[in-house]
Amino acid sequence: MAGEPIQVMLVEDNVDHAELVIRTLEEHRIANKVRHFLDGQSALDHLFHRGEYTDLANNPRPHVILLDLRLPRVDGIDVLKAIKESDELKAIPVVVLTTSEAEKDVARAYYNHANSYLVKPVGFEEFKKLMDDLGFYWLGWNTNPHSKE
Amino acid sequence: MLYLKLMKKILSFPAYGNEELNTVAQTITYLSLGLILFSLIFMATVPFFAPGLFGRFLRQAGIIVPACTGIILLVRRKKLQLAVMALTTLLWLVVTINSITAGGVSAPIVIGYAIVILVSGLISNRTTGVITTFICIATGISIAAAEAAGILPEPITYSPAIRISIYIFFFLMIMTFQRVNVVNMMELIKRSKSNEARYRSLLENIPTTTYINNTDANAKTEYVSPQVEQLLGYPRNAFTDDPLFWTKILHPDDVEKVLAESHRTAETEEVFKMQYRLVTKSGQIVWVKDEAALVRDNENGTPLYWLGTWTDITSRKQAEEQQYDLVNGMTKRTIQLQTAADVARAATSILDINELLPNVVELIRDHFDYYYVGIFLIDEVDQWAVLRAATGEMGTKMIEAGHQLKLEDSSMIGWSLTHKEARIALDVGEDAVRFINPHLPLTRSEMALPLITHGEVIGAMTIQSEKPAAFSRVDITALQVMADLVANAIENARLFTDRVILNNELEAQNEELEQFTYTVSHDLRSPLVTIRGFLGYLKLDAESGDMERFNKDLNRIASAVDKMQALLNELLELSRVGRITNPPEDVPFEDIIQETAALLSVQLEAGNVQLIVSGKYPVIHADRIRIREVVQNLINNAVKFMGDQPAPTVEIGMDDLDSDDKPIFFIRDNGIGIHPDYHERIFGLFNRLDPDVEGTGIGLTIVKRIIEIHGGRIWLESEPGKGSTFFFTLPTAKDQKRT
Repeated sequence: MAGEPIQVMLVEDNVDHAELVIRTLEEHRIANKVRHFLDGQSALDHLFHRGEYTDLANNPRPHVILLDLRLPRVDGIDVLKAIKESDELKAIPVVVLTTSEAEKDVARAYYNHANSYLVKPVGFEEFKKLMDDLGFYWLGWNTNPHSKE
Repeated sequence: MLYLKLMKKILSFPAYGNEELNTVAQTITYLSLGLILFSLIFMATVPFFAPGLFGRFLRQAGIIVPACTGIILLVRRKKLQLAVMALTTLLWLVVTINSITAGGVSAPIVIGYAIVILVSGLISNRTTGVITTFICIATGISIAAAEAAGILPEPITYSPAIRISIYIFFFLMIMTFQRVNVVNMMELIKRSKSNEARYRSLLENIPTTTYINNTDANAKTEYVSPQVEQLLGYPRNAFTDDPLFWTKILHPDDVEKVLAESHRTAETEEVFKMQYRLVTKSGQIVWVKDEAALVRDNENGTPLYWLGTWTDITSRKQAEEQQYDLVNGMTKRTIQLQTAADVARAATSILDINELLPNVVELIRDHFDYYYVGIFLIDEVDQWAVLRAATGEMGTKMIEAGHQLKLEDSSMIGWSLTHKEARIALDVGEDAVRFINPHLPLTRSEMALPLITHGEVIGAMTIQSEKPAAFSRVDITALQVMADLVANAIENARLFTDRVILNNELEAQNEELEQFTYTVSHDLRSPLVTIRGFLGYLKLDAESGDMERFNKDLNRIASAVDKMQALLNELLELSRVGRITNPPEDVPFEDIIQETAALLSVQLEAGNVQLIVSGKYPVIHADRIRIREVVQNLINNAVKFMGDQPAPTVEIGMDDLDSDDKPIFFIRDNGIGIHPDYHERIFGLFNRLDPDVEGTGIGLTIVKRIIEIHGGRIWLESEPGKGSTFFFTLPTAKDQKRT
C-alpha cells in the first residue's frame, strides 16, 4: 500500500460487461488502474510474462484478479488452476465474477482455490452496489500480499 | 401148483428193453421147450411101435434136453446172442446127424435145415444168417455127395407113424416160431401206431408250428403242422405245395436278410435261427422265431431233412418295442426338458439378442446332437427371413454371406413363416419344398419351426439332422415349446433393447436439459446484465446530457437484445432437432449438396469462396431437411472462419467406408483451422472459439445432434493455419434394408 496504484486484472470476454465493471469502479474512484483482458490466454500470458507481455516494467502483476468463468481459448477455470498451481501467482486473490449461478461452477471455483465467488446481478443499482462493496473490500479493507516482484 | 409156478417162472422173461430182443428171447425159449418136449415124447412112445429105435431116440433126448435147458438159462441170464448161436448149432447138429444116419438128403432134412436158417435169422445180423445158410447148403451138398458115393451107412427106414410124427414136430416148431413172431410184430405195430398218434397230437397241440423241409429246396415241403393256419391264416397245403411260399409272405424289410441267412445255413448246414416278420393273410404283421436244424441219418450221417419250428413272438416283440419306445422316449423327454430348462434360463438371463440367439442354437444342437440349428428373423420390410444365428463353421459362413430366404413356400423356413406352422421333411431329398443348401450337405431330415410371439411371426428356427426320419410329431411339440420360449425371449430382448435405447436417450436429454438450464442461467443472463446495467447508465447519460455516450450505451442495449433474440431462436431450433423429425427417406446425397449450394450462393459469392464438389455419392436414408441443415451449417462455418485466405475454397467429398460400412462424407476448408485442444469443445453448447466472430455457439451442437440422431458420427481434423476438415457418417438406403 505504498501509494502506488492498485493493479486490477479484469478477465472478461463480454466487452459490455467489462465496460460496466470498469465504469462503476472508476466512478467510485476506488481503482485507478484496471487492465482488461478479453480471453484467458492473454491473461495468462500477461501473468507469466509471455508473448507480448515480457516487458516487466509495463506489465506489473495485479493485486487482485476479477475472473469470468466462460472464456474463449482458455476457460476461466483453467486460468484459475494455472494461477493457483503457480508458486509465483497463487498468493494473488482471485475473485470469480460471472453470470453463472450454477452450483457446479461455484463448487469448481472454490475447489480450485478461488478466493471469492460473485454473481453479476441483473439490475443497474444492484450491479453498482456490488462493485462498490467489491472495491471497498478487496481494494480497501483487505490487506493484499506484497507483490513478489 | 408147484408145476404151474415153475412153468410161469420159466415162461417169464427178463426185460431186454427192446421189443425185438424180447421177441427173440421168447421165440428161443418156446423153441427150446418144444424141442425138450418132443424129444421126451419120442423117447417115451417109440418102444411101443419101433422098439429097435429106442436107443437112438434116447441118445437124441440125452443131447437135446440138457442143451435146451442150458439155452433157456442163457436167455434168462440175458446171453441172448450166445443162446441163439447155441440153439442154431444144436438144431444143425440134430438135423445133420439125422440126415447122415437116415441115409441122405430127404424132405424132413430140408425142412430141418430151413428151421436152422430161420432160427439163426432171429438175430438181426445179416452176416450170421448168410453164414448159417451157406453152412446148411454146404452140409446138404456134402451129404448128398456122400450118398451118391455110397459111403453113407445103411439108412434107417422109419415107419409111416414115425415119419408123420417127425413132420408134426417140424410143423409145430414152425408154428411156434411164426406165432411168437407175428404176435409180437402185431403188438409192435399197434404200439408204434399209438406212439405216433401221441407224438403227433403233442406236436400239433403245442403253441408252435413245426415243419419238415426237404433238403432239396425245390422238393415239396414234407410236413407243416396245423398251427400254421392259426398263425398265418393260410391253409397248410399252401406251405406244403409250394416250398417257397413262406418266402413270399416275408415282411418286405426282412426278405433280404432272411433269405441270405437261409441260403447260408443251407450251404454250411448250420442251425438256422432267426427272428423275423411275416405278413398274415389278413395283412397283419407277425413276429416269428424260426429255428431249424438239419436231421441226419443215424448210421451214415447223410442229411435227411430240415426240422424246424415257428414260434409266434409278436407279443414279446411288441412288449420289447414298447419298452424300447418307453426308455427311448423317456430319455428323449429328459433331454428335451433339460434343453427347455437351459433355453429358458438363457432366454430369461440374456437380454441381448446378439448374445441370446447363438447361445440358444448351440444349446439345442448340443443337447440333441443335431447336425445344424439356425434362427432366422424377419427383416423390417417383411420380405426376407435373415439368418441371425447358426451353429458351427458352416453357420458362421452363412451368416457372413448374409444368407436369407424369401417369405414364400419355396423353402421349409419360408413355408413355416407364411403358414405359421411347424413342418418336417424326413427324407429331404423327396420333399419338394426343401431348399437344398450346399453349405449343409449332410442334412437328411429337416424341421422348421415358426417363432411366434403375441400371435405374430417374427422368425423361424431350422433344425437339421444327418439321420433320415429323425423327427416325429412329438418332437415338433417339444421343440415348438422351445421355439415359443425363444420367440418370447427375442421379444423381451427387443423390448429391453428399446428400453436401453430409450434410457440412453433420456439420459442424453437429461444432460442436455442440465446444460440448457446452465446456459439459460449464464448465457441468457449475460445480455440481461448488459441491458439492465446500461439502462441505468442511459438514464445518467440523459441527465448529464452526454448524447454520445447515450447513443453508445443504447447500441450496447440493442445488440444485447438482438443477441438474446438469436440465442432464444437457436435454442428453440436445438430443442426441435430432437423433437420434430421428418420421416426418413431415400435421397441421393448429391441432391442435398445441390440444394445447400443454392441456399448459400449469396454467402459464397460474398466471401468469394469456391465450392468444389468431387466424387460419386450414395443414396442416403435420412431426414432430408435436417441433413441439409448439417451441410449448410458446416459450409457456413467454413466461410465464417476463412480468415484472410486469398483463395478460399470449400470442398465436399466422400472417403472410404467406416467400420460400420457407412460412407464417410467430408467438408474441407482452407481457413484458419482449429487447435486440436478445441476439437471436442467446439461441439458443446455455447462454446465459441472467437468472441470477435458472430455466433451463438449452438450451430455445431445442432449439427452433432442431427448426425447422432441418424446413428452417425462427426469429428474433425484441423490445425491452426492449415484449414479444417469435418467428417461425418450417415446411413445409406442399403444399410437401412439390412437392419
